Amino acid sequence: MNKNYILPGFVILVSFSLIIFTTVLLPHFIFHPEPSEYAVEYTELEAKGRDIYRREGCVYCHSQFVRLQDRGFGPLVQAGDYVYDTPNLLGTIRTGPDLSNEGGKHPDAWHKAHFINPRTITPGSIMPPFVHLKEDDMEALIAYVQSLGKKRLKKYDRIYRPDEYVAKLEKRTVDVNSSAAANAGRGIFQQNCATCHGTHGLGNGPNAIALAKKPANFSRPFYKDYDDVTWFWRVSEGVPGTRMPQWRKKLTDEQMWYLVAFLKTLPRVNEVYPHSYETLEPDKWLEQLKASEAELNSEPKAMLIETKGPPPMAGGGH
Amino acid sequence: MLLSDKENSASKFFILTAVFWLVVGMTLGLTGAIEFVAPDASTGYGPLTFSRIRPAHVNTVAFGWLSMANIGIALYIVPTLTKVKLFNEKLANFVCILWNLAILAGIACLVHGYSEGREYAELPVPIDVVVLIGLLSLSYVIYMTVIHRKVKKLYVSLWYILGAFFWMPIVYFIGNRTFVRLDGLNDAIVNWFYGHNILGMWFTTLGVGIAYYMIPKLSGKPLWSHSLSMLGFWTIAFFYAPTGTHHILQAPVPEWLKALAVVFSVALVIPVITVLTNFFMTMKGSWWQLANNLPLRFVLTGALFYLFTCIQGPFQATRSINWYIHFTQWVPGHAHAALLGTFTFFNFGAIYYILPRILGRQFYSVGLAKAHYWFTFIGFNIFYFVFTVIGLIQASGWQQGMEVSQWSIALEPYWFYRAFGGALMWFGNVLFLINVFMTWRGAKPLDPPDEEPAMSVKRTGV
Repeated sequence: MNKNYILPGFVILVSFSLIIFTTVLLPHFIFHPEPSEYAVEYTELEAKGRDIYRREGCVYCHSQFVRLQDRGFGPLVQAGDYVYDTPNLLGTIRTGPDLSNEGGKHPDAWHKAHFINPRTITPGSIMPPFVHLKEDDMEALIAYVQSLGKKRLKKYDRIYRPDEYVAKLEKRTVDVNSSAAANAGRGIFQQNCATCHGTHGLGNGPNAIALAKKPANFSRPFYKDYDDVTWFWRVSEGVPGTRMPQWRKKLTDEQMWYLVAFLKTLPRVNEVYPHSYETLEPDKWLEQLKASEAELNSEPKAMLIETKGPPPMAGGGH
Repeated sequence: MLLSDKENSASKFFILTAVFWLVVGMTLGLTGAIEFVAPDASTGYGPLTFSRIRPAHVNTVAFGWLSMANIGIALYIVPTLTKVKLFNEKLANFVCILWNLAILAGIACLVHGYSEGREYAELPVPIDVVVLIGLLSLSYVIYMTVIHRKVKKLYVSLWYILGAFFWMPIVYFIGNRTFVRLDGLNDAIVNWFYGHNILGMWFTTLGVGIAYYMIPKLSGKPLWSHSLSMLGFWTIAFFYAPTGTHHILQAPVPEWLKALAVVFSVALVIPVITVLTNFFMTMKGSWWQLANNLPLRFVLTGALFYLFTCIQGPFQATRSINWYIHFTQWVPGHAHAALLGTFTFFNFGAIYYILPRILGRQFYSVGLAKAHYWFTFIGFNIFYFVFTVIGLIQASGWQQGMEVSQWSIALEPYWFYRAFGGALMWFGNVLFLINVFMTWRGAKPLDPPDEEPAMSVKRTGV
């Protein structure tokens, strides 16, 4: 053999085996994630369903991983979630929704109807009908889809009762009656709440006009009866049926306590807004407050708001 | 007749059957595209469902058309450049038969759901074994031919072809190793090592090798720079292999692997620029030939799409751009630009040049070939543009955190345009099949021999 080709041949062999070593073998040696809480060890039926998922080629339109930038799909996936998933069904294209947290999102009957004809459930869907699946195959496939993410979204989306929040009081680190906490809460309120509830919490933020269920007006006497836990529960769990989200998904407990501290300071209806805090004279403020309270008690016209400050516009709330 | 020892018979059978699989694969693809417009079309019949047709389409066009046409053309180029007969024509003919049976069985398996479920590696294990045997036999034939060559210097096309036949059996073996069970994410890492390297170490190397042969041959000008072509070869050999992880850049795989993939993906700009500089500088002063040299027009259209794809590719592998376009139809658009726009066009040009020389007769019709060019070119442009637009709409939907059901209706017209572009291409390639079939059957040519010199055997000026 010509000596000229020995060196190039050697370089090819070395470089290619080096590359194969780093990209194929090295991950195999050093990348061994521990099975996470949500790694599914498939039952016999679910494993059969997984085979059908693979056989029917669901993976060509449905991915099985939530990316950092995805919103509304539930918690981010971790390396340990996939330990039992061989062959991988991560997917490369999302023509349909991501399925990594699909388990528990819909009842079994929903899935069955959806497999038979997707357009009866989601009009406008372009998913092909899987009516050709046999009855037991369909059941296995449903069992598999329900196993995805170990129904973590169900746990995640569950709405807790207010009394389940009483325990939070003990762990609370924020003094909700301090003005410092209220001040911290003001910033959180302006960033997250003011777009709907308005800067003064009157339910007249810029987004309010677009909402069918109007955001709450915190100046109403109703809210003055809220205690700390009720406020916290409401912020944390949101209001089902409205655009009020479950803030615990975004805010920490501490932040929500700051928010509660701020919400408690919002004035009651008919209370007087000073034009600016510089001209505020404490004696006069108390006088006006007493006058408006007297007015409120004599004439129960809750929605007639007379203020010297910015007039409430949209709103009403509950 | 089947296991003939005739010169170039293996090349002929590979090319002829490849053109048949091209139309089969495109028909499958078009069926899939139509099902996006009419999703209820497959009701009650499993094998017709989009999700079953898609792997069949991908494997038919990748292994049936592109691989077989590449092999057929390589089996013509290697003896021509080494000035020696193919080492074992019978073995190559045998592989051709084996490969055709494998593709036929593969399509039947995939539409009936016998799939391994890993992208590009869907073919069931027995067919994998057949394909691997075929690849190894062909490597043996080609390496032995080159060893027995009469021309001492290796032209750059031979480098590329030898490289491809060295890497592909290894890559294919790694990608289809079902006997080694890997955990979920490790499985994905190996899957995408294979999924991307089948493009880089097989289709790209063979395709570029073919273009390196065809452009100087068709334009009648010497290659601009041999050393530049060597730089392109060695950089592609070094930079391509670790890039596969950029397909799962957002998945929880190790960060160092992702970083490696991104860096090497961006580095791929170097081989692309060197290859294209060489192509375009070779054409310097001869661009007028595009007007009356159809095979050259095909190859250079492919080269332009190559420029486009391979500038797009490195950039969409960077994290900031991948962040946006990942998971959308932008990505299959890019894949089609590489496999259909570039390498398929290279192969069209090469087949229009090679087939008359193998068969010893003129191509049946220049008119059909011109129609083939324009239908495929215009159809592909529509198709690719629509893919990209769909991808951007989808990306916007995902980034806004909207439910799929809220924006999927907005895509409805685009699915139709995509199927329309696909139908144009499909029609163009049916014309191509007719043209090739008539040439093979020896029908009387419709045009005088000097109409398109490259497409007739008489070498007038080409």
